[in-house]
Amino acid sequence: MRNILRELCETNGASGRETAVRDRIIELIRDHCDYRVDALGNIIAFKKGEKAPEKRIMVDAHMDEVGFIATYITESGLINFATVGGINTECILSQRVVFENGTVGVIGGKPTHLLSAEAKKKLPEVDSLYIDIGARDRAEAERYVSLGDTAVFCSPYTEQGDIITARAIDDRAGCAALIKLLREDSVYDFYATFSVQEEVGTRGAATAAFAVAPDFCLCLEATTACDIEGAEGAKNVCFLNCGPIISFMDRGTLYDRELFNAANASAIPHQIKTAVAGGNNSAAIHKSRDGVRTLAISTPCRYLHSASCMSSYSDIEGAYALAKEMISVIGGMSDD
Amino acid sequence: MNTVSSLKKLSESVFIGHHNDTLKVAEQMLGDFGKRINLTGGNTAYFIKGESDRTVLLEAHIDEIGFTVTEVCERGFLRVATAGGFDLRALPSHRVTVHGKEKIEGVFTSIPPHLTKDEAVFDDIDKLYIDTGLGERAKGLVSVGDFVTYKKEAVELLGGRVTGKSLDNRAGVLTLLLVAEKIKAASVPANVVLLFCNQEEIGTRGAVTSAFALNPNEAICVDVSFGDQPGVAPAECGKLGHGPMIGVSPILSKSMYDRLRAVASKKEIPYQCEVMGGRTATDADMVSISREGVPTALVSIPLRNMHTDAEVVDTADIESAAALVYEYILAGGNENA
Repeated sequence: MRNILRELCETNGASGRETAVRDRIIELIRDHCDYRVDALGNIIAFKKGEKAPEKRIMVDAHMDEVGFIATYITESGLINFATVGGINTECILSQRVVFENGTVGVIGGKPTHLLSAEAKKKLPEVDSLYIDIGARDRAEAERYVSLGDTAVFCSPYTEQGDIITARAIDDRAGCAALIKLLREDSVYDFYATFSVQEEVGTRGAATAAFAVAPDFCLCLEATTACDIEGAEGAKNVCFLNCGPIISFMDRGTLYDRELFNAANASAIPHQIKTAVAGGNNSAAIHKSRDGVRTLAISTPCRYLHSASCMSSYSDIEGAYALAKEMISVIGGMSDD
Repeated sequence: MNTVSSLKKLSESVFIGHHNDTLKVAEQMLGDFGKRINLTGGNTAYFIKGESDRTVLLEAHIDEIGFTVTEVCERGFLRVATAGGFDLRALPSHRVTVHGKEKIEGVFTSIPPHLTKDEAVFDDIDKLYIDTGLGERAKGLVSVGDFVTYKKEAVELLGGRVTGKSLDNRAGVLTLLLVAEKIKAASVPANVVLLFCNQEEIGTRGAVTSAFALNPNEAICVDVSFGDQPGVAPAECGKLGHGPMIGVSPILSKSMYDRLRAVASKKEIPYQCEVMGGRTATDADMVSISREGVPTALVSIPLRNMHTDAEVVDTADIESAAALVYEYILAGGNENA
């Protein structure tokens, strides 16, 4: 799983441009399940297990990541952009990005030496920023970048022991865990969805859930850890190296209480998120058709939506293990 | 010497405090050409060539901006002080190398927007920490006083432009190395000495003692200056790809400025003028008042996003700067000015 995670984190796929990620995932799962790709680009896979559960189970992870989209090219060859998804605005200035075709650029800003004392303290407005690919003028820039092209952070995957620093851990960590579930034997049948466009409003998951029509869903995600120096109590949200996170409520979903309790009873080390913040594909899935009983299992991730997301591999393994256990728990549930 | 690959190598190497990997890279590029002159304080000079009474000093600072660790906190996060001028707004989520007992990777912390009430105010480096991900284990590996530098792979953008960290002033270091390479096959009318100075970024200090020790007859300092980008007025920057900027200022030698321009015109080397009202905020400020005074010129490579890890230069400007300095020396320099 570690090598797969690395490979996925090194593959670019801003929302709506998940092709490269999808192609690689299909290569990894094609011999282990049935699958199809729907109109939006979601992968909808079916894993045959030893037993058919009474209730239909879906496990979801999203393929897309936050990024940038080219909106205008200036006469001098600089590229204005809009953000795709909720990028932390303090993590944009002076970052390096790479477009889908490999063109590299930097997001520059007026040098600090030339700023007023007031301007030095304040983040620049995002719409005043631009990507510099080194082009001399608009014509040269247009040979490499077209309006509507997307870019993602250009940032290496590095490991220091179990600690991984990379872009797009949200949600390639979930994808890696879901791939592992598909590549090994399962006790119960389940559907797996690798969904598109989570970062722009959980859109892919909405159509994927409609297609699968599950009774239960597990969302494998990455969520904010804020366990940095000085954070106190609940403000930590959750901690690295302390296992996967289950959440009772966030800004998109009130999670199914029975599933929450079942996961919380697990012997696999886990944590409960101590903030009602953020959201994920559960928001769309739990409202699909006549309702889906949903739980998110998340990997704690510091500096989410930046070039340098930081997670612990042991937590990703924990998320995988807890998801596997929960498939068994749900598979064993019956109407009576 | 391939300009792009050499610049990338110099950019990725580290020179801060007593860490002098960049010097080793530069020395490799110099080969066995030039005789090393040891100086104090991490400054290094090389006698390149010449059998003259006159010495032309070519100077570039080799150090880079960075940080020093001031506290290893309870959870293992590091508090740092700046060593050089930083844009604090350009630090969150950026990668660094901590030069502790071993090289450790780290990331500057950022706070997720949905967990902060107010707009972030970047007025104090103490609001940021470096996260090595090692937790309390960092306490055994990092000590107060350890240096921290940007960690960034250098890459080529379109058409020979390069982005990375420390192009301020590895662009200048490379210019000097290219001049030395040209001089190899030439006979020069003056002694040529290369000087790579330490501690420019914390107050142009290395140049003070080094210029005194070397006692040159004239000096050319090669550094970087502001490149054209949005928000920077045309009068305060040079355009990337339009040649090196030749400095003119009350503290610089006017005759050297005139001669550099004349040589550039004659040899059809592109150049731009950089006009400053007084001091230049480069080592030229110190070299020019060494001992009884040294006629000093300043040649600068235009650079975007100064003092970040997203600096950008055009290698064509470095090549033009090297050609300019070389032709200037061959033409007799400032002699009889």
